[in-house]
Amino acid sequence: MIVTPLILVRLALIVLAAVLLQVGFFSQVPLLGSVANLLPVVVVALGLLGGAVSGAVAGFATGLLVDAMIGGTPGVASLALMAAGYLAGRWREGYDIVSSLVPPLLTGALTALAALIYAALSLTLGIEAPVSVLALREVVVQGLLGVLLAIPVFPLVRRIVRPALVDDPGHSRAGAGAGDRAPGRGTFGMMRGQGSH
Amino acid sequence: MYRKQVRRRRAILVVLVVACLMLISISISEADDGPLHSIQRGVSSVLSPVGEGASRALKPARDLIDWFDETWEARGENGELRGQVAELRTELLAAETAAERAGYADELGELIDASGLGGYEPVDATVIGRSFSVWYESVRIDAGGSDGIDRNDSVITEDGLIGRVSQVTGGTSEVTLITDSSSAVTARVAGGGPEGLVSGVVGDPGRLDLSLIQGAKEVKDGDRLVTAGFTTEGGLSSRFPGDIPIGEVVETIPAEQEQREQVNVEPFADLADLTTVTVLTGGDDG
Repeated sequence: MIVTPLILVRLALIVLAAVLLQVGFFSQVPLLGSVANLLPVVVVALGLLGGAVSGAVAGFATGLLVDAMIGGTPGVASLALMAAGYLAGRWREGYDIVSSLVPPLLTGALTALAALIYAALSLTLGIEAPVSVLALREVVVQGLLGVLLAIPVFPLVRRIVRPALVDDPGHSRAGAGAGDRAPGRGTFGMMRGQGSH
Repeated sequence: MYRKQVRRRRAILVVLVVACLMLISISISEADDGPLHSIQRGVSSVLSPVGEGASRALKPARDLIDWFDETWEARGENGELRGQVAELRTELLAAETAAERAGYADELGELIDASGLGGYEPVDATVIGRSFSVWYESVRIDAGGSDGIDRNDSVITEDGLIGRVSQVTGGTSEVTLITDSSSAVTARVAGGGPEGLVSGVVGDPGRLDLSLIQGAKEVKDGDRLVTAGFTTEGGLSSRFPGDIPIGEVVETIPAEQEQREQVNVEPFADLADLTTVTVLTGGDDG
């Protein structure tokens, strides 16, 4: 991904829109005893499209923003989302996306991981109230809903950041494949773009 | 070149992780009026109008999903509720007769006056945001300092207590729910029963836990809990006014190997689906 000022604005708007949607909509719609979490889904999409650094920075910024909006302990959500974004980017830098099922499944797994890290950090920081085993339900439910959310969100995010992608299939299908593993440059580095998806 | 990329990537990651850990550390160690919390409130105050606008724009979508959800639930609950209504009507008639006989009806008005809620100014507000995790249960409402709301004001719905104001900006407030892991409400069983501390249960937002402070009296299923609203001789007082309904005891598990009896409470208010709330402002709860 080549990050120009215009792309940076787009990325910031994606993050802001995701946080507003999460706080104003998804968090207020209970599903299966939990709520859907759009934030890791968007962060993972940015990691998959932009690489590990983009994913980590997006996770950090998204976490700070959501903590400011709803008042959590600053840094906790950032760490959890950063892990998801970074690992998504590392996956993209190491493997090709050979199937359209890969982004949703990977998103589901990393969303569950982010929920698990958030839970572990919360426990580490000290919880005085009793903890029910049902707390694990959040990890499973958010992971499953993450799979479903990724189906529309990943293509949407890719469409928005398409001008920044080095090897976007919409521009050059021939560019997808082994050639896009080259390390990059740019503000955050020219990372591997979206491959054969 | 590639190694340089890897080094830079790792450096950025380390910087971000260290920044997160520093934020967590500062946030936990500093007071509520510390610089980090002030910055957080400042950012929140700047973003609140955007959040409020987004929440209003998304309301039709939320209402649509609620409608589907309620219709689905209503189909199943219809028969059950009809039975309950008939049962409650019978109970109500019996209770009214008993109350009239004992002169209870007159005492009820005095009891409401004595609860002290008459001294509070209710401020209605709409929920415009909610946290995304069971580990942190809070909502943001569209009323703040400019509406007379202060920190620690109690927040209720028509069903009962839902939480207290934990952060205030000019036009919005953050409400920490009674199901949050940091919440603790002094409560007593209505009708002169034992007192205890009601706290949330992480992972189960439909349940509260009662820890008995005075264990001499027995708590049984069906007991209704209200806020204790105590004031000590030394001037220490509860953050919540007295006699606000909290919930009903649904299960008591006797202490065998446990250190204390476990009392499960179901909150009266539907904390999973909050749209409009009322803040009790102006009390002596600062």
